[in-house]
Amino acid sequence: MAEITESPESSPDPPETKSEQREEFDPETMRRTKPGVKRLVLTFSVLISFVIGFPFLWKSVEIYRAPLLFDDIDLLSKRMESEPLRFPCNFRAVFVGFDFGSADFDRADDLQSSISNRMDKFVSGTSPCGTCSSNYSVSVTMESNSRCIQSQSGRHSCSYQCGAISSIDFRGDDESVDDSLERVLGGECSGLAGKVYTVVIVNKDAEDKAIIGKYRHAWIVGRVQEEEAVEKIAEIFVKVFSNGGKEEGLIHGEFMPVGADGRIVLSFNLLNSDPQDWIYDWDFNMIEEHMLSPVVDTLGPVANITVESQVLYYTPKSSYAYWDEELKSFILNTGDLPFFVNSNEWHLDTSTAAGGRSKVLQLVLYIPSAKECPLNLQLPNGEISKANGYISPMWGGVVVWNPMNCFQDPEKYPAWHKISPQDLQKIFEVFVAQIRQLVGLKSDNLFIGTSVRSIMLASEKGFTEWELDALTRQHTCFNLWSCATTLSSLSRLVQSLPRMIIMDEIGKQVKLSMEAAKQAESDASHGIYAAAAVSARQSRALAEDAFFHPSIMSVSYYSFEHCFAVYSPFFLPVSLHVVLAALREWKRYRQEKKKYLTWKARVDASS
Amino acid sequence: MYARFCFFSLSRMATLWILLSLACWNSFAGASSSSSSEASMHTNNWAVLVCTSRFWFNYRHMANTLSLYRTVKRLGIPDERIILMLADDMACNSRNKYPAQVFNNENHRLNLYGDNVEVDYRGYEVTVENFFRVLTGRHETSVPRSKRLLSDEGSHILLYMTGHGGDEFLKFQDSEELQSHDLADAVKQMKEKRRFKELLIMVDTCQAATLFNQLHSPGVLAIGSSRKGENSYSHHLDSDVGVSVVDRFTFYTLAYFERVNMYDNASLSSLFSSYNPSLLMSTTYYRTDLYQRHLEQVPVTNFFGSVMETIYTDSPYRSPQRKDSHKGDIRMSSDQSIEDEKGKMPCEADVVDNGDLDAVQQGLLGYIWSDLHMKLESFGDGDTLVYYGMLMLAPFLAVSTWISL
Repeated sequence: MAEITESPESSPDPPETKSEQREEFDPETMRRTKPGVKRLVLTFSVLISFVIGFPFLWKSVEIYRAPLLFDDIDLLSKRMESEPLRFPCNFRAVFVGFDFGSADFDRADDLQSSISNRMDKFVSGTSPCGTCSSNYSVSVTMESNSRCIQSQSGRHSCSYQCGAISSIDFRGDDESVDDSLERVLGGECSGLAGKVYTVVIVNKDAEDKAIIGKYRHAWIVGRVQEEEAVEKIAEIFVKVFSNGGKEEGLIHGEFMPVGADGRIVLSFNLLNSDPQDWIYDWDFNMIEEHMLSPVVDTLGPVANITVESQVLYYTPKSSYAYWDEELKSFILNTGDLPFFVNSNEWHLDTSTAAGGRSKVLQLVLYIPSAKECPLNLQLPNGEISKANGYISPMWGGVVVWNPMNCFQDPEKYPAWHKISPQDLQKIFEVFVAQIRQLVGLKSDNLFIGTSVRSIMLASEKGFTEWELDALTRQHTCFNLWSCATTLSSLSRLVQSLPRMIIMDEIGKQVKLSMEAAKQAESDASHGIYAAAAVSARQSRALAEDAFFHPSIMSVSYYSFEHCFAVYSPFFLPVSLHVVLAALREWKRYRQEKKKYLTWKARVDASS
Repeated sequence: MYARFCFFSLSRMATLWILLSLACWNSFAGASSSSSSEASMHTNNWAVLVCTSRFWFNYRHMANTLSLYRTVKRLGIPDERIILMLADDMACNSRNKYPAQVFNNENHRLNLYGDNVEVDYRGYEVTVENFFRVLTGRHETSVPRSKRLLSDEGSHILLYMTGHGGDEFLKFQDSEELQSHDLADAVKQMKEKRRFKELLIMVDTCQAATLFNQLHSPGVLAIGSSRKGENSYSHHLDSDVGVSVVDRFTFYTLAYFERVNMYDNASLSSLFSSYNPSLLMSTTYYRTDLYQRHLEQVPVTNFFGSVMETIYTDSPYRSPQRKDSHKGDIRMSSDQSIEDEKGKMPCEADVVDNGDLDAVQQGLLGYIWSDLHMKLESFGDGDTLVYYGMLMLAPFLAVSTWISL
């Protein structure tokens, strides 16, 4: 086909040259006219337009991927794994009433090193993230008759008025002693990063007791030897101030009842199991104002807490209680407890305030009906639970409250009662204990260690300052760790799917999350607890937002093979034709040109 | 009526083939998720129940799902922890002789569509995309909590699916399909984000076992109604309703659970061994190699019920201002009782015999296919194979174009 279509001027050989050049003109290898370029130009213009069009096509099917900081994410998660956060903590021991001579300047230093040694023994093994165990300083002050010596490390900072502690009357009420110690010791320390925790040892003839205050200090009173004191001080430092007095294994560290967005919704429910018998109501606003808001405010650095309440009716429990003649009450034992919550009748999770990833903690006040009143929970050891309540980790807690008039015959029409403020106070004391339990703290006001047995004072805010410090440290650590794992999961996911669209928003969230994480790390290393906690929470929330971004969905994007398979039927046959046609034209043109050149050479030679 | 559904439209066939073959080679390169959560305890239960069919003649699938829904609710999983995905076009179907009622037995004793059926995803909301959104948790912000799977690292999740399926796929409402590698991918992402502690996948569909082929994540237990090449059949026809009302696998599962109450300790192995192949007319397949615990020691209520972990509250927290007569009343209470999970059993994977799975494919075509399959198997890296294949396509095309010119 292509052979016949020659350029028009080449059609017949010119007649006048025919005769003389017939013998040397071979039409197979020669031609007299220049080959035309029209066809060449045409095919090439199509090819070139295809070539020019290709980048546009490529661009149009390109997948937008916002740049993610994969290297930084890797670095962050490596850092989190290898060296957990180091919160600086300062421990200070004050010895009051120990004899020391005027030349005993080394004594304080000796004590300091022995305390440090003891502490190292308590810390032994891997320390969980969020304790002070890897980064602390110890200082010792000895005070006697308004004369003080200080160990070297504590000499330059954190001074308090010498002799002030000796003047405190330790025989007084624990609360007042705590407050006066706070007045003396609570001052700001210059030049020290992190919080300062103090143990005061008072050596005098008095009843032996050890008390951990609600601020950041503890005191031990009694006749104590120095070695014994060192042991006790070290234990209090490590187990109480550093670890937050938690018992290992009570609630696993991962169970932080804080939502991924850093929010907790405390949902208080009053359940009237059978309103035919009696109906109870509560003055929730009053109790929220007086008891809950301090707790909520205190937990501010750890989580953003909102409170809501509801009263529900006709909410029977789903497990069976039996009548115990001896205890004169209905008894629920340990085996029945897991079935107590009747999830089909208790519509607890009705919160509209809680966003998708917030944590809702249910706190349930259950009022038994007349035919199961009084209802008591029995502990495994056979005793009746004092608090009459239990928690379920990550879910919330239940308190059973028995009305006073259990044994009265129910009236014909159910009476409407309001729970008295005193009762409500008692109930909410249990609720506060349950909230504490849910975040992993005990409420029994007693710390029993290997060498020391001490009373812990309770704070009206629900959490003492040192407990809050420990919680803050732990949550910061957990949040940062969680942020790092989420981000590294995201980066693994994104890298494994090269055709996935990554929207700008995700990139921005990842960037902000990394920034917040860095901020949290630097705040933590400078000992600014509250700011570190807030940044860490933010970084976790942003990382989760990025990971759970709705645009990441494996069914809504295609692999490269898919793309190829979709576009190749359209473009491959056409483009191959175009390329081949161009090739053929080029070849033909060269061939014809060669013919022309041979003829031309012949003509030139003959003329 | 239960033939294998081959409903790919031709135009998508090629791409799907490529995708499918790719899936076989996907070598899940991502680092296995940090398994530090092994020590966490089981704190809550979730159930995701999916009916993937619609239209009247698929009545039994909705009945299957609603029966399971009723069972897990009876055993204690609250409604807010059940995600029910249902086409929900049976109860008010004009062909339904019993309006607003759905039965799973011809004796009509139990109306499954009674009170309190909370369908979370209804009608055309039951899509593969929504199913994945539920599993992976990637929702729009406006999606309410009740439609989300808000599980955590202590959750046990039951995932029940029923519908029409085939080799490595499950059809969603006649319009799209869930493929085994998509399911595996979603599960992997869930594990990565620690959205479950243990996951039980229960599937009642033809060739259900093939849906589990790509699963790789630890902590996953899977049971399917039939093996590769087998169909799952309906149990009986209700001549009043006019269609089959329940599938065999689900029927016998329900028969088992009717004997169980929430206090029971019946183990998963007793459930799994309760299926009789001659009654089912198919062989149940369960995959345990990813699951750490021994089935004999796992109560069925660990997945089908909801047993809460409880810890007693010892004492109220009294602050000094409120302290009335409390002074000195300090006593160590030894009642910290944690109903702890059983200690982790040493992992002894029950390797499921895959031999007869391969032997199912018979006939010449099957033989050629399996032969090719074997050859591909020995190739190693699948991606390169596909790329070579594509490169080889180009010369073929070029030659054919050249000839045609």
